[in-house]
Amino acid sequence: MPEVQIRVMVNGRPRTATVPPRLTLADFLREHCRLTGTHLGCEHGVCGACSVLLDGEAVRACLVFAVQADGAEITTVEGIAAADGELSPVQAAFREHHGLQCGFCTPGFVVSVTAFLRDNPDPTDEQIRDGLSGNLCRCTGYQGIIEAVRAAAERPAEHTRTAGT
Amino acid sequence: MKPAAFDYHVPSTAAEAVSLLAELGEDAKAIAGGQSLVPMLALRLAVLEHLVDLRRVEGMRGIERRDGSLWIGAGTTQAAIERDAEVASAVPLLARATPLIGHFQIRNRGTIGGSLAHADSAAEYPAVAVALDARLEVLSPRGARTVPAGEFFHGIYSTALEADELLTGIDIPVWDGRCGFAIEEFARRAGDFAIAGAAVAVQVDGDGKVSRCGIGLLGLGSTPLRAVKAEAAVLGSPAADVAPADVGDTAMATLESVPSDLHASADYRKHVGAVIVARSWQRAVREATDA
Amino acid sequence: MSPLAQPNGTATGAAAARYSGARVSRVEDARLLTGRGTFVDDVVRPGMLHACFVRSPLARARILGIDASEALALDGVHAVFTAEDLNPDVREQWYTLTGKDVPDTPRPPLAEDEVRFVGDPVALVVAEDRYIAEDAVELVSVDYDPLPPVVDYVTARDAEALVHAGYPRNVAGETAGRPAAELDPIFDGAPVVVRETIYQQAYAPVPMETRGMVAEWSAPDGELTIWAATQSPHEVRLFCSRLLGLPEHRVRVVMRDTGGGFGQKVMPLREDMCVMLAARKLPAAVKWIEDRRENLMSAGKSRHEHGDARMAFDADGTILAAAMDFVQDVGAYPTPWPVGTAGVIGMLFPGPYRIADATFSSTCVFSNTTGRAAYRGPWQFESVAREVLLDIAARRMGMDPADLRRKNLLKFDDLPFSNPNGMGVYTDVTPLETFEHGLTMLDYDAFRREQKRAREQGRFLGVGTCSYVEPTTAGMNLLSTEGATIRIEPSGKVNVYVSGGSSGNSIETTVVQLTADALGVDIADVNTVQGDTAVTPFGGGTSGSRSGSMTAGAVAETASVLRERMTAIAAHCLEAAVGDIDLIGGRAAVRGVPSAGMSVAEIAQIAYFQPDALPPGTPPGLEASGRYRAREPMIWTNATHVCTCEVDPVTGAVTILRYIVSEDCGPMINPNVVEGQIAGGTVQGIGGALYEHLAYDEDGNPVTTTFMDYLLPTAVEVPAIEYGHLETPGPGEGGYKGVGEGGAIGAPPAVVNAVADALAPFGVEITRLPITPESIVALVRGAQRTVTG
Repeated sequence: MPEVQIRVMVNGRPRTATVPPRLTLADFLREHCRLTGTHLGCEHGVCGACSVLLDGEAVRACLVFAVQADGAEITTVEGIAAADGELSPVQAAFREHHGLQCGFCTPGFVVSVTAFLRDNPDPTDEQIRDGLSGNLCRCTGYQGIIEAVRAAAERPAEHTRTAGT
Repeated sequence: MKPAAFDYHVPSTAAEAVSLLAELGEDAKAIAGGQSLVPMLALRLAVLEHLVDLRRVEGMRGIERRDGSLWIGAGTTQAAIERDAEVASAVPLLARATPLIGHFQIRNRGTIGGSLAHADSAAEYPAVAVALDARLEVLSPRGARTVPAGEFFHGIYSTALEADELLTGIDIPVWDGRCGFAIEEFARRAGDFAIAGAAVAVQVDGDGKVSRCGIGLLGLGSTPLRAVKAEAAVLGSPAADVAPADVGDTAMATLESVPSDLHASADYRKHVGAVIVARSWQRAVREATDA
Repeated sequence: MSPLAQPNGTATGAAAARYSGARVSRVEDARLLTGRGTFVDDVVRPGMLHACFVRSPLARARILGIDASEALALDGVHAVFTAEDLNPDVREQWYTLTGKDVPDTPRPPLAEDEVRFVGDPVALVVAEDRYIAEDAVELVSVDYDPLPPVVDYVTARDAEALVHAGYPRNVAGETAGRPAAELDPIFDGAPVVVRETIYQQAYAPVPMETRGMVAEWSAPDGELTIWAATQSPHEVRLFCSRLLGLPEHRVRVVMRDTGGGFGQKVMPLREDMCVMLAARKLPAAVKWIEDRRENLMSAGKSRHEHGDARMAFDADGTILAAAMDFVQDVGAYPTPWPVGTAGVIGMLFPGPYRIADATFSSTCVFSNTTGRAAYRGPWQFESVAREVLLDIAARRMGMDPADLRRKNLLKFDDLPFSNPNGMGVYTDVTPLETFEHGLTMLDYDAFRREQKRAREQGRFLGVGTCSYVEPTTAGMNLLSTEGATIRIEPSGKVNVYVSGGSSGNSIETTVVQLTADALGVDIADVNTVQGDTAVTPFGGGTSGSRSGSMTAGAVAETASVLRERMTAIAAHCLEAAVGDIDLIGGRAAVRGVPSAGMSVAEIAQIAYFQPDALPPGTPPGLEASGRYRAREPMIWTNATHVCTCEVDPVTGAVTILRYIVSEDCGPMINPNVVEGQIAGGTVQGIGGALYEHLAYDEDGNPVTTTFMDYLLPTAVEVPAIEYGHLETPGPGEGGYKGVGEGGAIGAPPAVVNAVADALAPFGVEITRLPITPESIVALVRGAQRTVTG
């Protein structure tokens, strides 16, 4: 099975690689780019732990082959905080509201919520819950996560800064 | 949970795509958003020699108002449909069905063509397509043809598409007059495939009689279904006189091969299906008569 | 109302608590939020290989032969191990937690002559990457001779087939209380006896991170290094050293971040053994990361049990006696030995009620399904059976279930109270107090009025409660002690070393909070090092709701030594009396003389670099190790859960309206952490009541091996959880009690009771879990048939 050359932007940096077609984008990011913040919780598109931004849109990196991302811009959880390590408003809100415990699902939530709030800057509680329903968490019972999203939404000016792609 | 190896092809035209599919035969499959196909590959429930990626194919994306219909390119994502104002006004049933598909991350990748071609009987778009008598545009090396939605779905994950055929677009009639549309689902959790669901389109005339009606059922058979008998029973009747429960019961009466699994037996699906049909009928009629 | 008490401080001279009790932000969060955590799958070693298991597709079959030649011929494949290769290397195989003397059930690393469940590991493939390993797995040809499986544990004792030949009637073990006949006079003479068989389905911990391990053998040094997803690195080390016959100090286990465990990662399971055994036969490190299908197929199940539960009541509702005959499914390869915990389920059945006479029997039954594994609140069924039975009893007696409980619940003033089955003596708990607190938070009477109005409109609302006591912080075997080492470095910054390891329990934050308070320093000046057996003191790990309470003891023991030393140095330098020195704000100050004092950094300079300036007899340096010994065999914790819901009897849909937990885990070290533990457990319990089901078909095939089929609750399904806190100190350090498991215990019965209460007008009772929309519709229709027919 011939390998395929791809060229992508990952967290703002160009990257060229030759990959087998069956390599998922999630594994490409983890194994080839050594960006291990993108986690594999189910590898069949349900848990959301592997969510990344693909051309600005939140997607499951386990349901995209790396070859399909050729030419795309990818933002992983490692690209969400400021370069100096300052947490994004979404990340800061998760920390402030106990929105994470073991932290395994967290990168997927951070990425998804970042996109969600960019597109829904003033969500209702129902919209927040619906927007979170594509990410599974087993530690928090979602309580702190929901509060964190609500809190982050109340700071729209700040989160658009980091949510933009 | 890693897919088996395959060769990857990225044609740039639909003609190139179908000639590749023809050449590669049964071991090849087209991939668009991949939101249904990739899990099957990951679980190795599907093993393919070749994937033909449609992402670079020209002319397969977009939404266009045409005469009496709305055309949507098969490669148009569910997210694009969800955001589109034309869809919301011209085909409200499709617009309302879209947020029920999976989760927003799935809709960012998933396409309307992929959803129809995958032909999950519990999926939303196939049921909407049959309810609205959509026409599916199909291309093969032998040329283009149009398949009515009612003839497109053949069985579990099986459609009228030959191995070398590609769904390129869908043309959905735009209903006018006093119309109402509703889609309802019953699922164990948010975003799950429905245990039972119904997509209802109804039009009433000046006297309040049902002049046009489409009822699509999801999760209740091996394909998306059209509740033909229930539709026939209400056509011409004053909408206000129709008992919603009767519509539900009639829609369920003739069902065969209703799925049964851990989450819902066939009996329960029919029970809850009747309720869902009744509820969506009621909502659609209310909208039509208020119009 | 309640014996609300203040945290009882640590020792005399303790610095004022600045951080304990506060909602301190977690120190774990920054790395986890930015993708910089280190989970086992993030570990990369030079030349690392990847493993994948060949698993049985059959529930029970004889293995006639294994042909790996085609797999071995595949490019990139390094090895295929079968039982012949690995199993003979096992030296000793037992868990420190249960000890080597229990009559443990069989647990071979790879299946030998027979496979015993779908998913049973048969061979281990090692390849250059996981993709190739999975390709090779498909090429390993195993010749099976199918045998009739024992799928249903309920009938397993009468089955012809045996899961394990050495266990007649498929019974893994039995325990019992006093002879049931002794209670016959009470039951025979009681005005009311209520008896039901209550059944709970199988569900599982399902951490978001699956199991996984990287093992690297260094032959020249004879050292094995293991990176593991584990709740207990020291148990992994001890277990591995015994398994391989390696000296304990030649095994190092490292875990930085574990993605949740909930019991599943409390001890190494069979796959972990295989990886340990294979590591010595490979030229480089080997990584095994379980995938989700394997996790749902082979990482074990929990719950799955039933009890014939009965209670005798006086005419006024006073409970006269309680008894349960309990049977649980332990699958093919339970871990740990299940018989002891099954006994606890029977013993705890009377719960937090004033019950003088009780008995039980507990039976563990093998089946050809995945083995029973530890899960948050492993005895949880005692509460399911008791609390569901009590609501049924109240309805039969025409009483409000709240009144029935008020009549029987223990209150603080009733203590100490002996568990009637011999499960110790309840102390420091507040069952009636949390119950009343929870009902007040709801405004129970107002809810009953609302329920009445709703029923008149054809809407069905319900309320359910569950009150429990649970033993936390068990002080036995592996769990008896916990150590800490604290180093105040020469700069005055502090490193504290405990076994710990982040697995979602916030133990890093807890340790930093406690240490900062104990030494009177700023929390920013404290760092903690955990999860590496090479550098941390021995510890039992995260299990049995013990991390916070035991580690608090370890920190207190150790910090007291350093506090004393710093005080002595400061007193000497400042020419003050030792008794006049306060350690506060990173300084040693002379009480009443604000200008006189020195910083911890200055004290450290003297301790390390100016030993001549030390007071006579004071050892140099500011480094100490201490070990805390549990003061009691267990610390009792209690809570009441209150759930309200609306049920649509037509579709069977359940909507939870309010969810209240009133709990008493003693003084809270960090309310955010306490509430996070409660919420997580509660939502797992809601999942168990309404959604989750690890199911098998009649042939023993698992049918819920993806997240499409195994339904975890999402943010849409869960209610907002409201918390009430009573803080009655327990007998351990700081008065702290365990809180990690309770949510998962209290939620299922509260939800069942709420749904049953909503459906009470139909005259139905719920005795089987999970409650699905279909099961509700069946109950309602059945009742209507009974009424009309």
